[in-house]
Amino acid sequence: MTRSPAFEIFRYAAILLALAFALIPILWMTSMAFKPIPEWTATGADLTWWPKSPTLDNFRFIFGESTSALIVALDRTAGKPILASLLSATFGTIIAMASGTAAAYALSRFGSGQNLPLALIQLRLFPPMAVMIPVMIMWSFLGLVDTWWGLALIYGIVTLPFAFWLMKTFFDDMPREIEEAALVEGCSRFRVFIKITLPMMRAPLASSALFVFILNWSDYLIALLLTTREWVTIPVYMASLSSSMTGQLYGAKAALGLIAAIPPVILGIAIQRHLVRGVTFGALKQ
Amino acid sequence: MSVSATTKVRAGSSASAAAARSERGDREGRRLGLALTLPAQLLVLFIAAFPLLMQAYISLTDWSPLDGIGWWQAWELWNSFANYTDLASDTRFWNALWRTAVVMGICVPAEFLLGLGLAILFMDEFAGKRIFYSVLLVPMMVVPAVAGYMFFMLFQSGGPVNDILSTLAGTRVSVAWLSDPNLALLAVIVADIWQWTPLMFLILLAGLVGVPEDQLKAATLLGASWWQRFVTIVLPRMKAIIVIALAIRVIENFKIFDTLYIMTGGGPGVATETISVYIYKLTTQDLIWGYVAAIALAILIALSLLAAFAIKRMAAAGKEAP
Amino acid sequence: MTNMIRVSRRRLLASGGQAVAAIAAVGLAPKFIRPARAQAADALAPGMIGGPTGFEGAERYQYGPDTPEGRAIEAVKELKGAGKAPSRIVLGLSDGSIGQLTQPFPAGAPSIKELWEKETGITLDIVGVPNGQEFTKTMQDISTKGGAYDIYAVEWNRLGDLAETGGIVNLDEYVEKHRPEWDDPERGYVGGQKGVSLLNQYRGSTYGVSLDGDFQVWVYRTDLFNDDAEKKAFADRHGRELALPATWAEFDEVAAFFHRPDQGLFGSTDLRNQGWGYTNWYQRYVSMGSPNQFLFDDAGTALINSEAGVKATEEYVASLAHHSPDAISWGWPEQYGNFASGGAAMTCAFSNLPKFLDNPANEGSKITGKIGSMLPPGRAIDDKLVRRSVLWLNLSASVSAQSQHPEACYLLLQWLGSSRIYAWMTANPGGYFDPFRLSDFSDPLVRQTYHGYHMDIVRETVARTVPTINYPGATAFHNALDENLVAALTKSKTPEQAMADTDREWKRIARRVGEDKLLEAIKANKEAWPTVLDPIGT
Repeated sequence: MTRSPAFEIFRYAAILLALAFALIPILWMTSMAFKPIPEWTATGADLTWWPKSPTLDNFRFIFGESTSALIVALDRTAGKPILASLLSATFGTIIAMASGTAAAYALSRFGSGQNLPLALIQLRLFPPMAVMIPVMIMWSFLGLVDTWWGLALIYGIVTLPFAFWLMKTFFDDMPREIEEAALVEGCSRFRVFIKITLPMMRAPLASSALFVFILNWSDYLIALLLTTREWVTIPVYMASLSSSMTGQLYGAKAALGLIAAIPPVILGIAIQRHLVRGVTFGALKQ
Repeated sequence: MSVSATTKVRAGSSASAAAARSERGDREGRRLGLALTLPAQLLVLFIAAFPLLMQAYISLTDWSPLDGIGWWQAWELWNSFANYTDLASDTRFWNALWRTAVVMGICVPAEFLLGLGLAILFMDEFAGKRIFYSVLLVPMMVVPAVAGYMFFMLFQSGGPVNDILSTLAGTRVSVAWLSDPNLALLAVIVADIWQWTPLMFLILLAGLVGVPEDQLKAATLLGASWWQRFVTIVLPRMKAIIVIALAIRVIENFKIFDTLYIMTGGGPGVATETISVYIYKLTTQDLIWGYVAAIALAILIALSLLAAFAIKRMAAAGKEAP
Repeated sequence: MTNMIRVSRRRLLASGGQAVAAIAAVGLAPKFIRPARAQAADALAPGMIGGPTGFEGAERYQYGPDTPEGRAIEAVKELKGAGKAPSRIVLGLSDGSIGQLTQPFPAGAPSIKELWEKETGITLDIVGVPNGQEFTKTMQDISTKGGAYDIYAVEWNRLGDLAETGGIVNLDEYVEKHRPEWDDPERGYVGGQKGVSLLNQYRGSTYGVSLDGDFQVWVYRTDLFNDDAEKKAFADRHGRELALPATWAEFDEVAAFFHRPDQGLFGSTDLRNQGWGYTNWYQRYVSMGSPNQFLFDDAGTALINSEAGVKATEEYVASLAHHSPDAISWGWPEQYGNFASGGAAMTCAFSNLPKFLDNPANEGSKITGKIGSMLPPGRAIDDKLVRRSVLWLNLSASVSAQSQHPEACYLLLQWLGSSRIYAWMTANPGGYFDPFRLSDFSDPLVRQTYHGYHMDIVRETVARTVPTINYPGATAFHNALDENLVAALTKSKTPEQAMADTDREWKRIARRVGEDKLLEAIKANKEAWPTVLDPIGT
């Protein structure tokens, strides 16, 4: 379809406006990450959009090296929280994907677990805050508080609905012929699932897993309540850089925010196409 | 909700297929199905059984960790249904619920319309489409807590937002956004729209691209205007996807917490206190856990009824439209 | 050093507690370095059995066998000998305060942590808790039986809440046995036993050991108040001399006089935001009666929904007129930043404000050498002046009931909270623990850090300080008040509505807490309220 020049002008203007809206907070974070301390809180007439004297000090600082006489190097660097976030999000994803995929396959092929669709919807609908009291008590009883595996378990559970729904959609749409041919040749159903179905679903599996990973990586509330010290995640650690009493370590927070944004952005862009399929639960046939 | 509707329909069809097979004596399949659903069932049971029972139990008591007795001894503080009657007259709860609804009522339509508008602009090819597309999706990849800190800074009265407004207005704007009840709510809404419009855009664009080109061409030849084509051909085909996009945002927006809490802490006063923030405060500051449990169960029941109702409606609608 | 000189106020503030340790090392330390080096590392003064060494004046912080510190260390050693001491004590402490325990001060000295570990052989494991999360984390540890800490350090007024949970240990037995001498008339708490009861006790038993002195103290700009042109302008306008405000009416007048937002000067920057501002409402409210306007009467009825409450709230809201337009969202960092840049004539803050802002090392501060301290404004009632300040936040430490070795933990606290070690610790600018013991106010090292002019006023302010609510439900009571006050500030509610709503919410909270518990706690709290009245004209 050809469009009039007026439309093209309108289109670019509108997109540029949207880009500005999308990018201003991100530019601010990026710029802040490279600002030296005196520029952090400069406001009003002193406000600077770009660092006047760019520095890597903020990044050095969160990894335990202070280049300013006034900031004492941190006892707890960002290294461990990054590790905590990576471990809990990754293993949480594995838990959600493994159990979600298996259940989705079972429902799609054998009609097992008819209760799961509604149960999982309810699980996702419910504000996590409202169940955190019993969860805190359970986790404490089981010795799971302040461990990455404890976080991974709860992450696996709260993202299970997404893993289940995404994979179910993909299984429903997958042609059965190949599986049936294998069955005729005498393969067991389990072998078919492992050897035939799963390898064919490699791309959907990867994209669903990445989506679930991003959800886990984003969490703040759950980690805030279930970690205390050893395994605090990035968002919780960031809060300790920004309490009212220590003054806000804006630059350090922005630097950490920038680092924290890297995995989701890379993964997100890598799976854009599949993401659509995933979150629309197959209502969209491509 | 609609999500489940679609799936329920599908689940139904695959279930009947499975039933047909099992009539042929496919016990192996059933056994395997049971085994494969077991981990998910156990996880659901694990997270539902104890918390539900415990919440139901302590919701009938005045128990608080401040009482110095374990939760299992909460019966000593039995108060029958006082928590539930309190809830009915708890204006802060109803205000928080209303505020959550207001936030949702503005955020979700705004995200939808902006996302749809952008998606329409991206329907056909133009220079720079791919790169614009990727960049526009970035906000939803930013960790919400981080976004909260950035927006907190952006909305300071001497901060960047006012700087931009000053440039546009040609005069010094120094609105104290987060100090004003209405503006603070607006700031929180802007942050949510910033973060989640990309998701709408992503889903809706995929839906738009799926509309068959030849139908549109035929309509054009028949002299249909752009608007007519949009309303008569595009929108009906997008119905399902629109419902799903809206449902996802309604569900997730209802739980709004991370970004909002970091930006305002629910303040000034209670001006941005949504249901999650209210529960968070009751849990960590007031520590009236029996009451929190009552709220949690009330919400669970209300949401489940809503979800069941929506699923029923959707299933009925699904049967009408083949 | 060059880095140091270019240090700006922003830097200083932004980096907060961790930063000030560097000032200690670079800015203040040279005065103490000189002869210290000459002294042998372990040379205690004669008769002393322990304490820091390695700097001039170290003997002031050393202790003999018959001191609270000496007894604590000896008792720990005994416990160790009997195999009843742990190898490690886990202390949960807010992030901003850790520096005072881990960073050596002054130069040549060991850190508190090093000294404790050297003298007792017990590892002191300090776990940072984000500021503002202390109570949440502690309650979580108690209610879920987490056992992550041996010692909690929580805002003082939550002691009642914590004690009621049974999650912290009643320390009476240990106090009896090891005699901390908190009420010592020379070195003890201000107010003697009354002070001890307020800070460390709940319903007559000891549950905590105070480690802080967050008395809110007023400061003003000497350059403005002493300026001849300002004096003349003020006298012309108001027909009286420009003087430090003795009453709230005078305060509001002076603040209005200096309020020139177009010139970047606000009348006052005492806080008005959520979570902090209500402490300034307190000052106006409690001075409505003589000797005090209480929050509750002896029958447990709230007194705020009254003429006094409404008037205090009206004043509190009206005073916004001589504040920054941002005041409702300004917290501690913004307040200090504004005052340091010369942005206000007066403010009320933690006692550490001059330590940070009247400091030659802080080149970014435009008000170095221009800060004075003053008593809180008050009200003339029955020919006497009722000046009242407020005690707020103030960390105090308690022993977890989940600790396997409560006695050793208590002994650590006795050692840490006693006059010699405490004065040495509070002088360290590496954290937020502020002076509160009589001995602190005269200690040369503390006076050096906090300034002599300020310490004298702090001591007098302490004698006029009203405690905030410390009964069970303290948090809920304060939140209800706080939220209603902010609603009044933002004009979402009238002062009358705000007080009426607070009253209603307080009733609900009281019902949940249990009135019997409450009455006793209210009574104990009231006993600690000051009775000092000043003659009019001072």
